[in-house]
Amino acid sequence: MAATCSSDFGDLVQIKKQLITIISQCRDRGLVHSVKWASELAFALDPLPLNELPPPQELTEEDAQDLDALCLAKSYFDLKEYDRAAYFLRGCRSQKAYFLYMYSRYLSGEKKKDDETVDSLGPLEKGQVRNEALRELRVELSKKHSAGELDGFSLYLYGVVLRKLDLLKEAVDVFVAATHALPLHWGAWLELCNLVTNTEMLKSLSLPDCWVRDFFMAHMYTELQMIKEALQKYQSLMEAGFSKSTYIISQIAVAYHNIRDIDQALALFNELREQDPFRIENMDTFSNLLYVRSMKPELSYLAHNLVEIDKYRVETCCVIGNYYSLRSQHEKAALYFQRALKLNPRCLGAWTLMGHEYMEMKNTSAAIQAYRHAIEVNKRDYRAWYGLGQTYEILKMPFYSLYYYRKAHQLRPNDSRMLVALGECYEKLSQQVEAKKCYWRAYSVGDVERMALLKLAKLHEQLNESDDAAQCYIIYIQDIFSCGELLEHAEVSTALRYLGQYYFKSKLYDEASLCAQRCCDYNDAREEGKALLRQISAVREQGEASSTDLSLPCVFNPLSNNTTPVRRVSPLDLSSVTP
Amino acid sequence: MNLDRLRKRVRHYIDQQQYQSALFWADKIASLSHEDPQDIYWLAQCLFLTSQYHRASHALRSRKLDKLYGACQYLAARCHYAAKEYQQALDILDMEEPASKKLLDKSVKEDNGIREASKEWEVSPTSINSSICLLRGKIYDAMDNRPLATSSYKEALKLDVYCFEAFDLLTSHHMLTAQEEKEFLDSLPISQQCTEEEEELLRFLFETKLKKYNKPSEMVIPEMAHGLQDNLDVVVSRAERHYYNCDFKMCYSLTSTVMVKDPFHANCLPVHIGTLVELGKANELFYLSHRLVDLYPTNPVSWFAVGCYYLMVGHKNEHARRYLSKATTLERTYGPAWIAYGHSFAVESEHDQAMAAYFTAAQLMRGCHLPMLYIGLEYGLTNNSKLAERFFSQALSIAPEDPFVIHEVAVVAFQNGDWKTAERLFLDAMEKIKAIGNEVTVDKWEPLLNNLGHVCRKLKKYEQALEYHRQALVLIPQHASTYSAIGYVHSLMGDFESAIDYFHTALGLKRDDTFSVTMLGHCIEMYIGETDAYIGTDIKDKVRKTISTPALMKMLNSSSDNDDSRAQPLEESGIMALETPPNSNKPPNTLQRFLLECDMHESDMMLGTSLSDTST
Repeated sequence: MAATCSSDFGDLVQIKKQLITIISQCRDRGLVHSVKWASELAFALDPLPLNELPPPQELTEEDAQDLDALCLAKSYFDLKEYDRAAYFLRGCRSQKAYFLYMYSRYLSGEKKKDDETVDSLGPLEKGQVRNEALRELRVELSKKHSAGELDGFSLYLYGVVLRKLDLLKEAVDVFVAATHALPLHWGAWLELCNLVTNTEMLKSLSLPDCWVRDFFMAHMYTELQMIKEALQKYQSLMEAGFSKSTYIISQIAVAYHNIRDIDQALALFNELREQDPFRIENMDTFSNLLYVRSMKPELSYLAHNLVEIDKYRVETCCVIGNYYSLRSQHEKAALYFQRALKLNPRCLGAWTLMGHEYMEMKNTSAAIQAYRHAIEVNKRDYRAWYGLGQTYEILKMPFYSLYYYRKAHQLRPNDSRMLVALGECYEKLSQQVEAKKCYWRAYSVGDVERMALLKLAKLHEQLNESDDAAQCYIIYIQDIFSCGELLEHAEVSTALRYLGQYYFKSKLYDEASLCAQRCCDYNDAREEGKALLRQISAVREQGEASSTDLSLPCVFNPLSNNTTPVRRVSPLDLSSVTP
Repeated sequence: MNLDRLRKRVRHYIDQQQYQSALFWADKIASLSHEDPQDIYWLAQCLFLTSQYHRASHALRSRKLDKLYGACQYLAARCHYAAKEYQQALDILDMEEPASKKLLDKSVKEDNGIREASKEWEVSPTSINSSICLLRGKIYDAMDNRPLATSSYKEALKLDVYCFEAFDLLTSHHMLTAQEEKEFLDSLPISQQCTEEEEELLRFLFETKLKKYNKPSEMVIPEMAHGLQDNLDVVVSRAERHYYNCDFKMCYSLTSTVMVKDPFHANCLPVHIGTLVELGKANELFYLSHRLVDLYPTNPVSWFAVGCYYLMVGHKNEHARRYLSKATTLERTYGPAWIAYGHSFAVESEHDQAMAAYFTAAQLMRGCHLPMLYIGLEYGLTNNSKLAERFFSQALSIAPEDPFVIHEVAVVAFQNGDWKTAERLFLDAMEKIKAIGNEVTVDKWEPLLNNLGHVCRKLKKYEQALEYHRQALVLIPQHASTYSAIGYVHSLMGDFESAIDYFHTALGLKRDDTFSVTMLGHCIEMYIGETDAYIGTDIKDKVRKTISTPALMKMLNSSSDNDDSRAQPLEESGIMALETPPNSNKPPNTLQRFLLECDMHESDMMLGTSLSDTST
């Protein structure tokens, strides 16, 4: 199959034909999102000549019998009168009618549930509102399933029902079966995507070999934060002939967003908006990027633009929420996120963002709720896990926050922020050893906030491990100076202050005085610096010759002239510091 | 004067339900024929039909006809019974003690005079005798003399195997246990009284009326009963089967077809009400009970329906009791109403009052094990496991194969810490259920699966426990206590990460579950204690190579130290995890049990309505 898969890409005509077929099939069954996906892809491919167009589906005897009922029911279905549609499909025997029958029952339950949610409570107090139809549907579908009477679409529906009932293990199996039965139905792949929690699980699935699978894998890699692989996949898909697909462009943009390559992502989103100016999907992600960059005018423009297109869309509400949040109007922001959730309670981004807003408003319990909902929707949302950690930290429950930070860390093992957070928690639990490990690790994976070393140093300081502390401060100062930016003066001064004292105690007066001098550059450490200098000169005046050193560490050269690039500390130099 | 023509006219009027005209002419005939006994009999009959019971009785007794003719004796007694003068009715029946004794002793041989007379009257003596026995039974029943009533009914049925009323009274009032019913049916002289074809038919029809709820099974319709599949009684009996197998959906579809064909089918009503309660169709039950009360205010079923409605909507137990007691006053022997009455107390945890009601039900329905089961449950809930066990064993003696009872016995064993027995019994119950289908698919049995999980956990068969809980989850998804049970098993297995996950899910569904909260805190601590500070060693190694600063050396040292020191507490913590649950989780665990029992109890409670197949 691998051969057909790759050759399939060569045969774009074939793919296009398949897409056209599946579009009509999905449309007949009211699976609008899959229709949209397939249509977007089909649009990206060249149009087919008339004689190449695939013939319409052949009808069986049963189909013909059910045709009228199906037609009637479909019209009710499109008008969202699901119960009515189901009623008229009761006795039908064709597969298509059966699917529509079950699907309308399912949607009827969902609609009632959502109405209930909006009516009675805010989305925050979701409570016990449930889709009552699910259990019946499960029983009926499972009977059919074990009899092997379900087609690809019905399998998909069965999977959805199972997932809604939190029977995830069973759901995965059913979705895999659904993809085998009908590889072109994107909905099944997408559902599967939501259920795969890690790479091992992904590897263990036996998926059909079809060109759709590549799309799935790429999507999966993006979700699993394996961005490099994802980008590669998308690149190859583009090369295979889907270069015009807006779907792929948006996915790549999301991928860049996930690895925080903000510039790339912004560029892609701008391109996307040029190609598809009335697109609302993914614009919430775009607004996140603008938010991170604090690009107020752009965000404002985007928000206004989207309101013009459709103000009652989840994404629009999220964008507006972000906009208000950037302007520190957190109540309003929360209001808009709430509206987004009313529109779609399963909107992941809105839950997380709402959690952030509640955090800003210091409403921890609401924040916890919101984050939990986010996790319920998607367990791989590290921001929500991280947020939970933060809230529990505020609530002074370090064990809990430790757990949540760990979850976030599992999802993004190389993100220093989680590691620093973990370290802080360990520190609070007086597990200094673990804390030290975390900080060190945070530094070594590339510290974004440049806090890890400082925290590590302070920790050493507390534990009276002065050599280690000094070591850390040295690296810290080097780091700060090497990056050239002038941030966090106060912290540099503490480092210098400590180093001054340290060298003084180790009788390395030259270094000590150097540090002390540098201390005087900073307002808050000036007095101490001067005092230290006085002390040093006092000690020196006693005329000590014994303390003359053989080697003078060159660590402080960069301090004297910070315009020149810093040289890394050589091991030899550092070893001289240790006793 | 051709009296025969007039006599025919009287019969004709009776057939037309024109009783006044019939009475008028019967009276005239009696005078014209100079009080021919037969004409007097018909006069009395007409008086009876016009509800003038005392006149009828007087017409017969003043002429001493009741002592000469069986039919007159029967009618006279019937009149007093209808007037609720039970003792007098009994006196009339007992008056001819020797004659009736004889009749009972050797049913074939009869008193000569009566025989002749009966022959003239075109009524077979056996059927009169059977009617007399039936009436006697009914009188005893009304006088609360259960054992005599039972034997009278049996007698009536032996005399006339077609006498359905006697059979119906026997079965619907649960006078016999399932075993006794079976034996009695076999002992009936069916083959003597009917043709071969009829025999099979009779057997099938009677068997469908036998007890259905003592053990789950399927119903088979024999070939010869073709055409009866769609007979409403047979359909109802099939629905009852489904009801007992807890397939309420199927039952509902059957009963609703019956209700369409015959909107107030008496036999169907109780089952239908039961399914409506089970499926939570409050609106439909409301409408049905309204119609019933309007149309049949004197039928206890109507008020039973109202009571069930209030019981079902919840927080209306006071109302429920009011209407259920109305049903019981209308007919004291209406067992289902008593049971429902007990339930109304049980849901409020009023154990004593609930038990009182159940006891009444138990007296009324000697052959039914459900009251015993409920009494046992109530004792179990009041922590009186000894008595509970006693009642369960009584229930078990009546219905040795009911999985519900077996399940409850197992629960008691579980509470007493006898895990092995509990497990055996749970599995036993499971076997019984599986007898109908290969798999347990009915969500009524979710507690059983969960309890199996609990037992396996206690027996340290963790894998099995997980499997059972998982099956339970398939039956009833999104059940908080199942999730916390799974989490608990995981924590005992030392898999704290999964445990935490499950406790989280449980708390997401039910936020104030103390058991899950405490266990979650516990597990998180264990989990943090046991895991590495962070994930991914590969980069750490790389760092070691690139910067081999003394600080890093120090780091390495500390981490290796730490490895040793970490191993120690881990061991301890592992033990602690295994040790603490028995102490710290005992209360929550019992709480859980309690809840499960409540579940079970509720499920049984609904079953209670299934036995309400009383028609009269």
